[in-house]
Amino acid sequence: MAMECIITIDLGTNAVRVMAFDVDGNVIASTKGTYPTFHVEADYSEQDPEQIFITMLYVLKNFLIEKIHTRGYAVLSICFSASMHSLLMVDKGGIPMGNAITWADNRGKKEAQELKQSALGRQLYESTGTPIHPMSPLVKIAWLARHDRERFAKTHKFLSIKSYVLQQLTSGYIIDYSLASATGFFNIQSLRWEQAALDFAGIEADRLPELVPAFFSSGKLRREFQTSLGLRDSVKVLVGSSDGCLATLGGGVWDEGKAIITVEDSGAVRTVGKVILRDANQRLFNYVLAKDCYVSGGPTNNGGVIFEWYAKQFGDFRSPFDIEHTMQHLIQEAADVAVGSQGLLFLPYLLGERAPIWNANARGTFFGINIKHEKQHFVRAVIEGILYEIYSIGKTLREHRAINSLTVNGSFASIPLCAKIIADLFRVPVSIGKNPDSIAQGAYLLAATDMGIFKSLDEAARTVVLSTTYSPNNNHHRTYHRYFSLFEKLSTQLSSEFEELSELQHEQP
Amino acid sequence: MNQFILQQGSSRELEPFPHIREFALTKNTTIQLDSFVPTTSASLSIYCVVDGKFEWSVNARNYCLYPGDIAFVLPGQQIGGARGFLEIGTLFRLHIDIEQTKSRMSLGNWSTLCQTERLTIEKMLLEDNLSVLLKLKECIEILHHIHAELVNPEIGHVTRVNHFVDSLLIIIARQSTRQADSRRDFPRTFMKLEQSLRRDLARQWTVEEMAALFGLGTTAFTERVKHYTGFSPLNYLINIRISEAIKLLKRPDVNFTDIALDTGFYSSQHFSTTFKKLTGYTPGQFRKGHAPADSQL
Repeated sequence: MAMECIITIDLGTNAVRVMAFDVDGNVIASTKGTYPTFHVEADYSEQDPEQIFITMLYVLKNFLIEKIHTRGYAVLSICFSASMHSLLMVDKGGIPMGNAITWADNRGKKEAQELKQSALGRQLYESTGTPIHPMSPLVKIAWLARHDRERFAKTHKFLSIKSYVLQQLTSGYIIDYSLASATGFFNIQSLRWEQAALDFAGIEADRLPELVPAFFSSGKLRREFQTSLGLRDSVKVLVGSSDGCLATLGGGVWDEGKAIITVEDSGAVRTVGKVILRDANQRLFNYVLAKDCYVSGGPTNNGGVIFEWYAKQFGDFRSPFDIEHTMQHLIQEAADVAVGSQGLLFLPYLLGERAPIWNANARGTFFGINIKHEKQHFVRAVIEGILYEIYSIGKTLREHRAINSLTVNGSFASIPLCAKIIADLFRVPVSIGKNPDSIAQGAYLLAATDMGIFKSLDEAARTVVLSTTYSPNNNHHRTYHRYFSLFEKLSTQLSSEFEELSELQHEQP
Repeated sequence: MNQFILQQGSSRELEPFPHIREFALTKNTTIQLDSFVPTTSASLSIYCVVDGKFEWSVNARNYCLYPGDIAFVLPGQQIGGARGFLEIGTLFRLHIDIEQTKSRMSLGNWSTLCQTERLTIEKMLLEDNLSVLLKLKECIEILHHIHAELVNPEIGHVTRVNHFVDSLLIIIARQSTRQADSRRDFPRTFMKLEQSLRRDLARQWTVEEMAALFGLGTTAFTERVKHYTGFSPLNYLINIRISEAIKLLKRPDVNFTDIALDTGFYSSQHFSTTFKKLTGYTPGQFRKGHAPADSQL
């Protein structure tokens, strides 16, 4: 009998990642292909939709030929995930008008600020579950309506990158509930586009893609792609979900009391539940994974990217070292420093900050340097600072939900030193998932549930195998807590100084 | 060592080396006003500090040079003392004539670099604005060797001198890439490559040329790119070519041959084959399938 497999495709921030699973959930193979991000102006962050599409196609084709067809696997279904908040405008003919705007684009700062402070902003947060920030397509479209009237008027559809890729591969403009709930337009209770949001942006619902659940099949692959990819007519293309929602599912986080911490370049703490979390300060997001199933949590800009910045500036680059080695050396150095970096604190807000302080003007800070501090204290302080920020998101979440155990994933959070610090900070056991790519794992679980291998997502999530577990150390916890309380104070009390500094930095770019 | 000056035309030592315009070691013991006012160089000039501290203006930027540091000046670029005079100290000066055509500069036939390496090194040295390279003590040694060969010619000295000049250029080219931080920040250098490729997509890029921008050998470069992007350098380039071609195909006014040549394919046939292999569509089918629903012009 022919062996069968499920393919997952994640359209991520910098790369498309493709993974194949057999029906029992074992990883067969994986690959990736990167695409660039263009920063044509300050605050702009764009990607070429055609390059993303071609990269995906190219990677998928090579992958199928080299790893799947040759080994005798037949593909049953393809399940998609994508990063959130992207926006692509297409004209009547479906042709992109300019590049896609990525989540990291900040051009709508002012529009976001205004909306957030208004009564409408609070109402929209209530109904859509998405905090108002410049990343949200709602704000991006509002920006476009103000600053690029012509493109705004000519736009036939406002899409996400994934909607565009699916339309190219199959047909029809669709968006899944999860990605939709990151647009700022989606009412997470009625599962329809929210009229008040549409009115704010000045568009009608027909200019957005059609809303579908994660299990929706976007139709057959176009015949040409069936031929070039060597896939059968029967291959099911599942719209899937967002990277955040799938990473949560793939991390096995489903029951009460569980949470997942993902830290790559940026980071997030997420939980799953049947109720929407309402946060008076709009610090938490709520994304729909399936009916009555919400992934709630808080994001941070300042994850592993800050550590990488530090490594690039202050790491050792004597001849043969590249950045990966340099970071490893730094982590070893940091591991030998006592908990709390002997009184050196670091605020990691180099990129401004979202949750929980939501201050775009916040900046990085070393606090408490004394004459005894050496290089390695700074390294550890940077790592601890990044994780204090993660912890403060977790703390906000804990006001709503218990967190009794944690899963970590992503290249930064799954570094053993980081996992240990997280365990000590939260005072809960911390596990690392067996499959380092929990987005792909989640997409597999979704596709497998769709095929009836699991009765429900609930059952699917319970099959996730966790490997190493770190237990918290109470003494460390106490030490970290004293530093964390100082960290929290500094983060909020410096706000007017951050403001003042931001003006200076703008004057002297 | 004593100071010396060898000049083309007047110094017999330079007769076998028409490409070396001047070679000198200067020991400056007094400061004279206007002894080194910024002037435009007529040749490729290498200034190497042996002793002392010099403040120079190179290409309108000021640098402070210490022993082992090098100023690298192309024809048409400017060099001079930051305050118009030459400070106290010792330095080597080597002026080499290079061949210039409208579009590019190249070393002459005296160079014994092999063809591919020569193109790469020329590109690195002659197209980039290197200006100043730090900590190249090896260069002092090589310059001493050149001098020794010139004043004491033994059998094979012409070959050796030319070898030493080649070595000097290789060392400078290598150092330029180390200074370029490509190792420290591969993604950023890769972004620069991406921009270069897009700016000049019609050109027939080679892996050697791309690797030169990173200062890496082709094998190391290919490995890094594969690790980083998932593609070999040439496949990554095809990726960009097809993406750009798709955009052009979606505009009804550009013909296939123009699209093919603009995006770097040899011919419309080559374009058509590559496009079909990757997408499953011929360019013609693709255009038909993506024609604007109605003309909005």
